[in-house]
Amino acid sequence: MTSVAQGEVPIQDESHIVTVRTTVRDAASRMGFGITDVTRIVTAASELARNVFRYAGVGVMRWRALDDGGANGIELVFVDHGPGIADIELALREGFSSARGMGMGLPGSRRLMDDFDIQSTVGQGTTVTIRKWLRR
Amino acid sequence: MDERISVIRLRGVLLITMPANPDDSTVTVLQEHALKVMEASSDRGVILDISAVETLDSFFARTVVETAAMVSLMGGETVIVGMRPSVAITASQLGFTLGNVLTALDLDRALDLLADPSRERHRG
Repeated sequence: MTSVAQGEVPIQDESHIVTVRTTVRDAASRMGFGITDVTRIVTAASELARNVFRYAGVGVMRWRALDDGGANGIELVFVDHGPGIADIELALREGFSSARGMGMGLPGSRRLMDDFDIQSTVGQGTTVTIRKWLRR
Repeated sequence: MDERISVIRLRGVLLITMPANPDDSTVTVLQEHALKVMEASSDRGVILDISAVETLDSFFARTVVETAAMVSLMGGETVIVGMRPSVAITASQLGFTLGNVLTALDLDRALDLLADPSRERHRG
């Protein structure tokens, strides 16, 4: 896959959740996603950016346009070096709610996107990668 | 009070209009302000206009549901107005509902709902 456009947004305070939303909305709109898909992508990004801020305090969101020859899409990667998730299965379970009630973020954003991948190591951090493909 | 939130008293109802892209503290301020005004007035309820809102994530939605529950404890009702179709589709896929919060397509119908409690309710 080659990347035709990309960028990143640091997540260091609460206002950066809004910056993530505006950046992703702008990128997804320019790539040609329709309003409903843009809303799905931005909402998933908002959930994951808030997770980074709430659980890790500091992290980054990297986005890039994907072109694998036949299909175009957008990829968002959320990286933090926070506490990590001990039980990913549990965190992804429908209706699972953490102590701070933020449990909808992971399963919810997985449903909104086409691809969802999470890597997490306790004490080292979490990386969540999501993708949405343009329908033709 | 975040200056981007518009609050208007209208026919004994508090009309709160949310900005397109509110940060978490703006959403929290919305809740505090709605409850403060409810306490200080004899308003029948709160109409929350989200027609400008482009992203309703789980934090925002949970705050809206909580606020409605608190307004209800104070003897008022909350009506959500103007949810965009794209926002409604996303909210439902994300997996949350607005519980027992009343919803209306537009401000006119929301005012009717609050003016006449016997009217048939559309619960979101």
